[in-house]
Amino acid sequence: MRQSRFYAFVFVAPALLMLVAILGWPLLSAVLLSLQDVRSVGSEGSWVGLANYRKVLSNTAFWNASWLSIVWVVANAAVQTVLALAAALVLNQRFPGVRIARTWIILTWIVPTVVVVMIWRWLFSTSGGMINPLLIQIGIIDRPIGFFSSTWSAMATLVFINSWRWFPFIALMMLAGLTRIPSDLYEAARIDGAGTIKRFTRITWPLLAPTLGVLVIVGTLLSFNVFDIIWLLTSGGPAGGTRTLPILIYETAFKGYRLSEAATVAVLASVLLMAFAFFATRSLAKQGDER
Amino acid sequence: MRRGVGWNIVLGGVVLFFVLIITLPFWWVMSGSFKLPQEIIARVPTMIPQSFTLQHYVKLLSSSDYPTYMINSLVVASVSTLITLALSVPAAYAFFRLRFPGREALYRMILLAYAFPSIVVLIPLFGMFAKLGLVDTRTALVVINVSFALPFAIWMLRSFFGSVPMEIEEAAVMDGAPPLVILRRVMIPLIAPGIASVGIFAFIMSWTEYVFASVLILSDAKRTVPVGFSGIIGQYQIDWGLLLAGASLATLPVILLFALIGRWFVSGLTEGAVK
Amino acid sequence: MRRSLTTLLTSAALLLPVSAWAAPVEITLWHMEQPPHRVERIQQLMDEFNAAHPDIVVSQEPQNWGEIYAKAPAALSAGAGPDMLFAIPDFTPILKDIGALTSVADFVTELDKKHDFLDSALESYTYDGGVWAVPLYNMSMNLWYRKSVFAEAGLEVPTTWADWKAAAEKLSSDQTYGIGLPANKQLYTDQTVYSVMANGGATEIYDENGKLRFDNPQTVAAYEFYADLQKLSPPDNTSWTWGEAESCFASKSCGMILQFSVISSYDTQAEGDANDLGVAAIPHAEGESQHNTIAYPNAVMMLSTDEAKRKASEKFVSFLLEPENYGRFLNMEPGLFMPVTADGAEAESFWNDATVQKYRSQIETVIANSGNGKLFGFTSGRVFPAIAAISAQNILAETLQAIVVGGKTAAEAVSDGQARMNEVSE
Repeated sequence: MRQSRFYAFVFVAPALLMLVAILGWPLLSAVLLSLQDVRSVGSEGSWVGLANYRKVLSNTAFWNASWLSIVWVVANAAVQTVLALAAALVLNQRFPGVRIARTWIILTWIVPTVVVVMIWRWLFSTSGGMINPLLIQIGIIDRPIGFFSSTWSAMATLVFINSWRWFPFIALMMLAGLTRIPSDLYEAARIDGAGTIKRFTRITWPLLAPTLGVLVIVGTLLSFNVFDIIWLLTSGGPAGGTRTLPILIYETAFKGYRLSEAATVAVLASVLLMAFAFFATRSLAKQGDER
Repeated sequence: MRRGVGWNIVLGGVVLFFVLIITLPFWWVMSGSFKLPQEIIARVPTMIPQSFTLQHYVKLLSSSDYPTYMINSLVVASVSTLITLALSVPAAYAFFRLRFPGREALYRMILLAYAFPSIVVLIPLFGMFAKLGLVDTRTALVVINVSFALPFAIWMLRSFFGSVPMEIEEAAVMDGAPPLVILRRVMIPLIAPGIASVGIFAFIMSWTEYVFASVLILSDAKRTVPVGFSGIIGQYQIDWGLLLAGASLATLPVILLFALIGRWFVSGLTEGAVK
Repeated sequence: MRRSLTTLLTSAALLLPVSAWAAPVEITLWHMEQPPHRVERIQQLMDEFNAAHPDIVVSQEPQNWGEIYAKAPAALSAGAGPDMLFAIPDFTPILKDIGALTSVADFVTELDKKHDFLDSALESYTYDGGVWAVPLYNMSMNLWYRKSVFAEAGLEVPTTWADWKAAAEKLSSDQTYGIGLPANKQLYTDQTVYSVMANGGATEIYDENGKLRFDNPQTVAAYEFYADLQKLSPPDNTSWTWGEAESCFASKSCGMILQFSVISSYDTQAEGDANDLGVAAIPHAEGESQHNTIAYPNAVMMLSTDEAKRKASEKFVSFLLEPENYGRFLNMEPGLFMPVTADGAEAESFWNDATVQKYRSQIETVIANSGNGKLFGFTSGRVFPAIAAISAQNILAETLQAIVVGGKTAAEAVSDGQARMNEVSE
């Protein structure tokens, strides 16, 4: 027991220390910032208690951004889960070229975000972009459209681009989960006469569920925080239609020069996320992650 | 496994779908990078290039620090990955196997590290790094990358540990081996594919990190690819050819890397965690 | 004893000249001219300067406009900032507010005597009892078109808004867009919108007492006109920055665009026929008498607190403004950067550049047009530094988007815009 504790300490301490120093302390200082009225970086502020909170909570921009963040997270989760599950199921099959496919599917994820942004910015534009001409040729539209020109299409396009980028990673994680399902289970089921769909719902889905659970939780947290794709493509526009919470925070801090107010929004957003993470992981733990 | 014709068609269709959406954009970008400027911005774009020129690559390589950015990115990403693994593997094992007070609570708290917008830690961290003389250093980037990768790494590794059959572990414990030895000799080899996949995650997250690199790095010599790339493209004008060439070059090293070692990472991962 | 004293004294005497040789003063310049050919030209000039001044070593760190608003204040407050930083008029107040700037009035007066600065350039940096940066180069918006395209459509160069709209309609067809105007929440759109406002009698967004008067009939009319005109632009103009507009013009998809200069892209990405490229002053509303435009005098802020570094920085800036060097500095992007000094406007080093010679008539027109340059927040001899937050958040562009994307009427949008400006100014 004691030996266990000693080792536990040695194993866990370095990682924990790093997290506390690099993430914990700045978070604390952000909370402190939210209780002051600091404007631009480097200027001094005085203590104002909860004034910032009152201001932010009564500001429609904050509620709009929260709503958009939720839309963003849910849309991404939906699209990515479908794409990733489809890809993972496909990659779990045997067909010529599957090995190559497994290695290279991750291509869209290993490319730096900035590059992804530039690629799609060009492809969706009318300056030589390929998407409009392609759609016109197939006959879906007859005049070029602006993918980032209306609030909902901008959001949809961004969700598409972000999903395009992330789904292979999730697919590989799912694939790892799928391959851990012993094939004898499938054999036994086939012998019992279960068809493909039944095998999926009775074996694949239940055994994959815990892995899926972790992925959805972590995926949600990560996609909530996505900043660069949105910022570099639409800066939260048009007309604020893609201004999610991270965008609002960045704008308030670095364009509006209201650091404390930005910190307040961040703290509120964190509380939301932490609540989600807490409840989600608790229900996951109950599902037998324990030994 | 035999499949009916119906399923084969579905499979074929889905495979084609994925192949197209993944490779077409890259084809367009790479083929575009060899086109003359007039053809790139032409009103009716061409699927197959009608012209050929290397001028964009020449401009990119001769008048910018692209190779420097590549090296910086590689160094930062590799070191970040190694440190992440070194810290997360023992920690994940401890959370999984060893008993200590507060274990569960601490474990759930680790994931909370993702529960806040990372933008907000930018400023206090900048101040902290400034005091430590770490502004404009690659060390600062490594520290940030490791911190952001750790929670996910620990989570995934713990679940990989969890998939090791009890008997194997029990046997080692009963032999009286101390945790460190169990970890090294028994557990790590068993979940090696899982470690590999967590390693890829850490590497890529570090390779593509933009926001912190753009603010913490002040001088050109230390820039990483994402930041350097967006700078070269220019802001008042867009040299599309340069942009396409830069995008192609930014993708190249990771493609090369994957051509060499991607295969074992992925096949290890998919051949099952435990034999 | 004596011996050692002598030795001591001799060695001290020998060491004196050695200690007089100090390490060279190192200074850094941060600027946002990142395209590789601009960086190269600046490096050339720096190398020449360093060779001529062995006691100073100046180097550059190109930065990105997107990051610099966050990075510069953070770096300066952490003591890791540069000695010189290029700026535009609405960026300077931000640094002044955090106490990073001291007045360079004396230095500027000295330079003014030698080179004669453009009044509008100086005005943008002179307020609150000081001069906060040294003007370096100018940019102003113009209307660009192809003479052959106009001739084919039987069009004259438009001088009024009605003519302008008619010309754009005439040039619109299945294949082309009559005019390429942006509608993005970004600096370029701020600039084009203001260029139109400035030609509609809506130049002043503040009154003499510093109170916001953005919401007024002329502004509403200008927005109405712009929102209407931009309908003739490509549908993705809500994500346009300068690059997309230039591409549109270069590929002949757009008949006209508003831009500082298209010479570079026209020359390299389009046909580069100097005889066909037309540039004109931006049309004004009926009832206005002169053509105005938006003027962006770029300057350099001097940030060192160390005396030696300050002096060294001043030497470098003086070097840049010398007529024999100034032209080459401006031509790091031929046709885009205009001189802010009288002797610069005549410098051989400016006019001798190959591209400048090729497009000589266009550049002369641009220089002439920039005489009527205005900048919102910096007009009528008074400067309202609160403008920094307004331009940083692109409120002019945001107001346009409220009409174009959000479907509001111009009157509603402008009124909301004013409320927003008040909000960010407090």
